[in-house]
Amino acid sequence: MNKNIHFRVTDDSGKLFKDVADKYCSQSDAINRSAFAMTLNKPASSLAVAIAVLSGCLAAATPAQAVVNIPTATVDPATGLFTPVPSPLCINGSCATEFSAKLLLFDEFGTKDMPAAPSTASMPPVPDCQSMPNGADLDNFLKEDLNSLPSRLTDVSKPNPWEDKIKTCVPGVTSTVADGRPGGEDFAHQRWSDFPAQKYFQTAQTGARNNGGLRDKYQMHGYKTGEFAPGGLYYLDADGDGKPGTAGLQPKIHPNLPTQDPHSVWTFDGTLPPKLLMAKYGEALIFRHYNALPIDVAANNGFGRNTISTHEHNGHNGAESDGFMHAYSYPGQFYEYHWPMVLAGHDSINAGALDPKTGAPDGSGGITQVPGDWHETMSTHWFHDHMMDYTAQNVYKGNAAMMNYYSAIDRGREPVNLNEASTGQKSADDSVKPGYACHYANPANANLCLPSGTGLDWGNRDYDINLVVADKAWDPTGQLKFNIFNLDGFLGDRATVNWEYRPFLDVRPRRYRFRILNGSVSRNWKIAIVQKNVSNTGVISYTKTPYYMIANDGNLMQHAIPFPNPNNVSTGDALPEQGIAERYDIIVDFAGMAPGTKLYMVNLAQHDDGTGPSKYVALADTLESGNIANPTPPKYQAYGISGTTIGDPVVGKFLEFRVAASTGAVDYSMNPADYVEGKKQMIPLNKPTPAELTAAVHRTFVFGKGSSTDTKPWTVQTDGGASLSADEHRVSAAPELPATPSSLGKVEIWHIKLGGGGWTHPVHVHFEEGQILYRGGKAPPIWEKYARKDVYRVGNLTESTASVDMAIRFREFAGTYMEHCHNTQHEDHAMLLRWDIEKPGQTIRMPVPMPDWNGVQYDPSISLPTVKTGDLAAKKSFKLP
Amino acid sequence: MKITGASGYLKSLIFIGAMLTLGGGSVWAAPKGSPWGEGYFPNVELVNQDGKTVRFYDDLIKDKVVLISFIFTHCGDSCPAETAGLRQVQKLLGDRVGKDIFFYSISIDPEHDTPKVLKEYAERFKVGPGWSFLTGSKADVTLLRKTLGLFRDGVEAAKLSEHNTSILIGNESTGQWVKRSPFDEPKVLAWQLGRNLSSFKSYQNTDLANYAGAKQMPKMSKGEDMFRAHCDSCHSLGNEDGLGPGLLGVTQRRDKAWLTRWLKAPDKLLAGKDPIALDLFNRYKKLLMPNLRLSDADVEALIVYMEASSKAILQDGASQ
Repeated sequence: MNKNIHFRVTDDSGKLFKDVADKYCSQSDAINRSAFAMTLNKPASSLAVAIAVLSGCLAAATPAQAVVNIPTATVDPATGLFTPVPSPLCINGSCATEFSAKLLLFDEFGTKDMPAAPSTASMPPVPDCQSMPNGADLDNFLKEDLNSLPSRLTDVSKPNPWEDKIKTCVPGVTSTVADGRPGGEDFAHQRWSDFPAQKYFQTAQTGARNNGGLRDKYQMHGYKTGEFAPGGLYYLDADGDGKPGTAGLQPKIHPNLPTQDPHSVWTFDGTLPPKLLMAKYGEALIFRHYNALPIDVAANNGFGRNTISTHEHNGHNGAESDGFMHAYSYPGQFYEYHWPMVLAGHDSINAGALDPKTGAPDGSGGITQVPGDWHETMSTHWFHDHMMDYTAQNVYKGNAAMMNYYSAIDRGREPVNLNEASTGQKSADDSVKPGYACHYANPANANLCLPSGTGLDWGNRDYDINLVVADKAWDPTGQLKFNIFNLDGFLGDRATVNWEYRPFLDVRPRRYRFRILNGSVSRNWKIAIVQKNVSNTGVISYTKTPYYMIANDGNLMQHAIPFPNPNNVSTGDALPEQGIAERYDIIVDFAGMAPGTKLYMVNLAQHDDGTGPSKYVALADTLESGNIANPTPPKYQAYGISGTTIGDPVVGKFLEFRVAASTGAVDYSMNPADYVEGKKQMIPLNKPTPAELTAAVHRTFVFGKGSSTDTKPWTVQTDGGASLSADEHRVSAAPELPATPSSLGKVEIWHIKLGGGGWTHPVHVHFEEGQILYRGGKAPPIWEKYARKDVYRVGNLTESTASVDMAIRFREFAGTYMEHCHNTQHEDHAMLLRWDIEKPGQTIRMPVPMPDWNGVQYDPSISLPTVKTGDLAAKKSFKLP
Repeated sequence: MKITGASGYLKSLIFIGAMLTLGGGSVWAAPKGSPWGEGYFPNVELVNQDGKTVRFYDDLIKDKVVLISFIFTHCGDSCPAETAGLRQVQKLLGDRVGKDIFFYSISIDPEHDTPKVLKEYAERFKVGPGWSFLTGSKADVTLLRKTLGLFRDGVEAAKLSEHNTSILIGNESTGQWVKRSPFDEPKVLAWQLGRNLSSFKSYQNTDLANYAGAKQMPKMSKGEDMFRAHCDSCHSLGNEDGLGPGLLGVTQRRDKAWLTRWLKAPDKLLAGKDPIALDLFNRYKKLLMPNLRLSDADVEALIVYMEASSKAILQDGASQ
């Protein structure tokens, strides 16, 4: 049998190829071992030798053997080998080529006013245990008003609309409930009368289907404004019937690849493009999420769970609406989320709503002021599944949407001229619209006037583009594929943006804002932007495109960070490593570029397996060179002999920008160069005081190997206690709300540490954002120094370091939240802990909901002895920055 | 499966060819469209503690709800703790284990762990019916570990003691598979196996209550927390023996210095032929208490907790 030979091949530049796992190469065993030794001892000369040995080995025994196990593959039972099968780009003669599909932009959910009375619509039935509702019926249901009014307490009086079918499909079920939220006070909507719901949206999680145009009329641009109007770059008429919209759009990863089966892909509405919620501060939302997945848990084409929970990452929401992993809905049910859309500090800062920077667009050029701390203004969020044990599968399958927060600061509206930028008055004939006036023209103005557009009062998306990057894989028939046994992490072999394989985007020669979300399961990205140049004689060259990072984890920073950046030494000019769930907003200026110019986003983070990235590939190695007539391929090659992978196939160019002609309009959006360190400030950090930091409770969380007994990589150790895996019953930390609401929340200092070498864990803390005090024991890099974060990446590469120390405070809401590794395969396999925000004086823990078809019961919770005290040793030894 | 060299490759090609021709699916017990069926799991031969030869897919997992762990019997610390923890799960599931839920502990050290050795091991842990201890060829077991995602090349291959202690629980007929830890709370694992993975068959968890009736758990001391995490799968706080002795009055029965040394490093005491350690070892089926790498403070907290608990139980008894 195979000899389990393991060696890592490095060349002098540190290029690291995959562990050559389990080479099926017994004849060459001795040679391989000696090659391994040479590799270790003499790295400078190793590559050629190793490749030669490998080639010999491969030629002798397994010509189809891949060197890199991506897509992280199943084991061939006949051979015992990991045998990754590349996701085919040609199926039945129909081929997807890179940069041939036009990028689909996110489709707005659209919000509606709360109805005065409920509609009589009902969830459409399902014909059998494996099927999902008919798409047209579902659209007809979803477009009606809510069929019951939202309620503070869970309504346990109505049966699941699919009750009869459920009883036949799930023997033993005798009664059911329509509302999936746990009952009782602990999961009642918090502060229901303080934040009465003003708008709502509803959707169903269901199988992939053709888009029926359900959301077309909710697009704020209406396909009439700016670039979304006919003739604009982003006008869409998916079915070509002359009427704009997404109607007719098929669920495909590329127009030339097969339609996804309803059991392969599950999304919001069941349709593509991916969905976007556009929300304003001060406008409390109800989100009713129907579960229209198959009753039969097995009807999932091999992955995905039919029970779901939805986490708004990283909303300032009550815990009952946070998407706790053990508060989930069953097929036929809905779960009602209440998102108050309030700023942190609502109770303690600017309580009278007197600060003009603290507000939301009013729809007519003004600002509706709201209470809270404008320094806590958030911008780019996403919401996604958080089902215990199944988050990776469900998110990968499509249960993820983005969410843009709009505010006085970040309104999504640029001025039309300099007069408007200064005063909000476009011309003498116009009224003054203070919400349109720009901060860059007068520091008293709130609106940063980020690239967006001018057609709408707020939420212009002409030059403000949401991008979700994710690696995917599919089977020989083109259906989405996931290996549930890749427990170290799952890697796909195809780069997608907004669910499309290597698409292109037309852009105007002006400034754009891109909101980049890493929506992968186990892959970190590192994104560079280059411009392609072809000389008169046809010689290809690439130049680095300058750009600015303006928001980290969806929060506008104090300063715009220029790239190329001298502080970013590890890979020159790419963005920092971007862990799963991290969001980076950037501004790129295409001004001055001739029509036809092409630019690319390039991924440089190489993975060998799902444990984390193994290196940053040099940008130059990922780009082709030579003459356009016969270019020299990039030095970094994902595919070698007869299609085998020898590098990471998701490294390299993945999104093409094509510069179109200018509209002639002058670009009055904010110039990020005016906001770099030492110049103007976007959102200054509201830093905790030294006194608060000194008084802080400390908590230490070690992700990875336990220090108690043996090797247990799947644990989190809290405050020096036992290394534990996830248990919905166990409270590991219990910070308290301030004694009086009007006092500031208490600051705590959390130490997030990497427990085992070689792995990377993007650790996400729900609910509030933290400020990084130290990264790897030193001052954080500039893009974290000025940031508010909700994902704290620890890992083995230079930008991830072994520890992050951050300050965080808790206020306004209470209940059960989570902290976990956002490599969702790690999260699902226990690298997660529960922490509760408790009310002052609360002495008993919240019980844990145990949802079932017949409703939710409760189990008692347990807690660590350190939930209140935290890590006293860490507090003692900590030195304030 | 002893496939080597080019013939193995040939067979794999034939296998892949067969998969493509059949299009997969129809002959599998796993649900339609699921890749996790006969074509995925190796149907390797294993031998159980009674010497019976079984096939992994056909006999052990097909159409069953299962718990699979990988162990080796002379494993010092993690495996006994693991096996003791899973024994608690088995107890909670009662007679369903062996009927519709099956436990498998597969040896990763087949050279040492013969069926006879495994049988002794099972008896020492007093495991109930429905829990098999299996061995097979090293290559086959490695293949299984890889297939189930519980094997990392280069990390676990080198040393037995570095083996992945995670367990896999699953339901072959629904294609649901979840990795968990044997150190999870037994009631959580029992719920997963007995309810969640069992198509919601009735499984009584007496703790469950509606919101109004939900019990609340008081705060735990560090010692109680330690005891729950590390001790209660083998020891009761009363007189009743588990895998180890009941601990009522243990802080009175034993000298504190000895008890401290014993809790910290039972393996060292035994190696030093400490008479009490030897006696315990012999009385409790040669099951050595694992070295849990407890700190001095942990041990102190445990002793305080056991002392307080004994006192409370004895007072309760006296007052009745």
